[in-house]
Amino acid sequence: MTRLGSAAAIGLQAIGRIAQLVAVILVIATFNFVLVRAAPGDPAQVMAGQSGASDPKLLDDLRREYGLDKPYLVQLVSHLGRVVRLDLGYSYRQRRPVVDLILERLPATLLLTVTAFCLALVIGTALGALAGLAAGSVLDTVFTVLSLVLYATPVFWLGLMLVLVFSVTLGWLPPFGYETINVQLSPIEHALDIMKHMIMPVTSLAAIYLAIYARLMRSSIIEVAQQDFIKTARAKGLSGSRIVVGHMLRNALVPVVTVAGMQAGALVGGAVVIETVFAWPGLGRLTFEALLQRDYPVLLGIFLILSIVVIALNLLTDLVYRLIDPRMTTGAA
Amino acid sequence: MSDAMQSSAPVLAVDDLSIALPKGGDRPFAVENVSFEIKPNEVVCLVGESGSGKSMIAHAVLQLLPRGVDIVSGTVTVAGQDPSKLGGRGLRNLRGGNAAMIFQEPLSSLNPLKRVGKQVEEMILAHQRPAPSMVEIHERVQTLLTQVGLPNPELLEKSYPFELSGGQRQRVMIAMAMANRPALLIADEPTTALDVTTQRQILRLIDDLRRERGMGVLLITHDFGVVADVADRVVVLRHGKVVEQGTASEVLRNPQAAYTRELIDAVPKARLADIHATIVRPEPLLEVVGLEKTFRVKRGWLQPPREVLAADGISLTLHEGETLAVVGESGSGKSTLGRMIMRLTEPDAGAIRFGGADLRQLRGEALRQARRQLQIVFQDPFASLDPRQKVGDAIARGPMAYGTSRAEAMAQARQLLVRVGLSETAAGRYPHEFSGGQRQRICIARALALKPRVLIADEAVSALDVSVQAQVLALLAELRQEMRLAMIFITHDLRIAAEIADRVIVLQRGQIVEEGTTAEVFTAPRQAYTRDLLDAIPGRDFFDQPGFAADARHIAGIESGIDAV
Repeated sequence: MTRLGSAAAIGLQAIGRIAQLVAVILVIATFNFVLVRAAPGDPAQVMAGQSGASDPKLLDDLRREYGLDKPYLVQLVSHLGRVVRLDLGYSYRQRRPVVDLILERLPATLLLTVTAFCLALVIGTALGALAGLAAGSVLDTVFTVLSLVLYATPVFWLGLMLVLVFSVTLGWLPPFGYETINVQLSPIEHALDIMKHMIMPVTSLAAIYLAIYARLMRSSIIEVAQQDFIKTARAKGLSGSRIVVGHMLRNALVPVVTVAGMQAGALVGGAVVIETVFAWPGLGRLTFEALLQRDYPVLLGIFLILSIVVIALNLLTDLVYRLIDPRMTTGAA
Repeated sequence: MSDAMQSSAPVLAVDDLSIALPKGGDRPFAVENVSFEIKPNEVVCLVGESGSGKSMIAHAVLQLLPRGVDIVSGTVTVAGQDPSKLGGRGLRNLRGGNAAMIFQEPLSSLNPLKRVGKQVEEMILAHQRPAPSMVEIHERVQTLLTQVGLPNPELLEKSYPFELSGGQRQRVMIAMAMANRPALLIADEPTTALDVTTQRQILRLIDDLRRERGMGVLLITHDFGVVADVADRVVVLRHGKVVEQGTASEVLRNPQAAYTRELIDAVPKARLADIHATIVRPEPLLEVVGLEKTFRVKRGWLQPPREVLAADGISLTLHEGETLAVVGESGSGKSTLGRMIMRLTEPDAGAIRFGGADLRQLRGEALRQARRQLQIVFQDPFASLDPRQKVGDAIARGPMAYGTSRAEAMAQARQLLVRVGLSETAAGRYPHEFSGGQRQRICIARALALKPRVLIADEAVSALDVSVQAQVLALLAELRQEMRLAMIFITHDLRIAAEIADRVIVLQRGQIVEEGTTAEVFTAPRQAYTRDLLDAIPGRDFFDQPGFAADARHIAGIESGIDAV
């Protein structure tokens, strides 16, 4: 193949990839649309019900205003049209662009989920590696039992218990919210204040993932320890710590990264529950509110953004995977 | 190689060594009262079947025994030191310093995520005090990689193990082992996973390095062909005990123990005199015309796929009752050929005529009926049986899929198990309860349950010990005659091809480079490639001596099958 030919082939492949992504997003948008409409009731009913006057004329007017009177297919097509133009529309209730609403809430959610994810990954793999290296010891048993308990604890229950102990009984931590309102704080005090508010939501959210990564890393380490190349490393006269750092860790991380990448999206789902429990002003709570009000554009907007985040995370996982495991770049397994 | 007999202190002395197995094993000791010595510049082969304890001895030398397996009596002395008395640092200095080790499977023995240059470098860094400068280390790595005959060491140093061939990986392992100029090299079946030509190159490399550096070499093998090629002295092990030891020529020419005789006889030998091209052939049973197949291996996201030519216009015929050997190195396309005939891999072009129809045109039920008559036995008997399926079910499942009642199929399965040399009760057991050789018998029974007309054996005995190999080959020869089976025998081992086949096809890069009766190909090869393959057969010089070839006729059970064809 000529140089020019292969450049063209690469270009074609890149275009193909992008086309694939766009198609995936459109399919997801369609699915979201159907899903949201499948819930009983519509925004008009909710609004008319709340104003206490659910006469058919008001309902019809509201539906006409929002375009809900048109056939589903027409609504779907106009929805997809907006998706392609990256236009998320207006909220029925808040009468503000959906993009603004999401951008306003996104930082709080990112702060919560990214912190929880990083902590879970770092602490989980470290504990798992220790347990795996000491497999069969008391330490291993303790870690294993602990991670099993964490794994089996429902996220919301853990959140409520933390509030009960640390806020209600001990009064150490603020029970909800993102920051203390109506006080003047210096930037450093403000940051500390936010961190204090974060401790419990982050802990509740991270717990289950920490347990998953710890268990995964433990079994992964045990498996790697039995590989032939570890025997080679011992036969080379390397010290124990060199074998662990130089030969075991990276190999053991491969399955953990795979699972972590797949779950990063699910973490956002957990955030919806946690944000509700802790009144955390993030996307999760926005979702919950929009759901109650059947605020279709907001819901669809959030779903779309989350889908894109998940797709981006998957791509990122792919890249990290390639960094860790050179075999992936050439497609040889 | 007899120049190796020097009267200096041994680099390895094993004295009355016994190693205990954990309680509940099939025997109390892995190794019992074993003694032998290796002098500098000497190659000692430790020979025995799997389970004979030969690897345990090698591992004991470097204190690498698995947990729960311990030395209970006797001593090991490596370059004047007893490794069991060395702690931490001293032991680490011995490992990779005075005594280095290489293993059977070079792919899994190298860290898959580390560049090979780094892995060699690490060996130097772990042992040289004070640590040499990075420039110096880099130069040493380059020198080592060059010494073991690796092309383009600059580029190779930056490669990952998966990017290298099997032979190259083993060379990297050897380069690593050589890094600190060890007095003793322990090689645990270093060529068992490699094809014949690569095997010869690796054995030569080890022998050259031994000569150059005056190293002692402990070479573990199950193959007397390898022994004949490189050993100065031989220690034969059975069930953990030494049955015989002596110089290589003594043991090979005049074995004292019956077991040694058995192992030597098990080496497959060309039995050209016994093979007659007698069959007056009617129409061929199977005819393959112009098969073509190119694999496109996907690379990264944005790279064009790499193309590998697996079949480039392959044509062949196979008659009833005939055995055709397909021979070639790994990557020559021989397994792909087998899979295409089974229609497990779709060819790009060509025709496969079988029983008056083109298999490639068949669809649905017609294809299903045709497939019944073509069966395959794979290389790895461990991977090719479902671990959660009882052996009887595995065999009966095929006939049941074609409408035989369960009761009848199970009865047949039990008969077949007896026929392949197992007992009826095997039907109720799971695959893990059997040894490799027994499992391969089960795989053969499974293939035969459908009463095929063509049996494809894809490296069916390559994973087995030499003595077990001989038994399975004998079984196949008998079955072939009994059931008028046509057989395609895919192998990289020419000794096996010579022992079992009527005709031979030699494949190289997807093309047939030579084709003829077994006698023609083995006695008068036309192509340089075929001659290379033949020269690579381990122990060929020894086993092809006229006196020895005559003895070889007495291998039990095999000749009846072949003579009669």
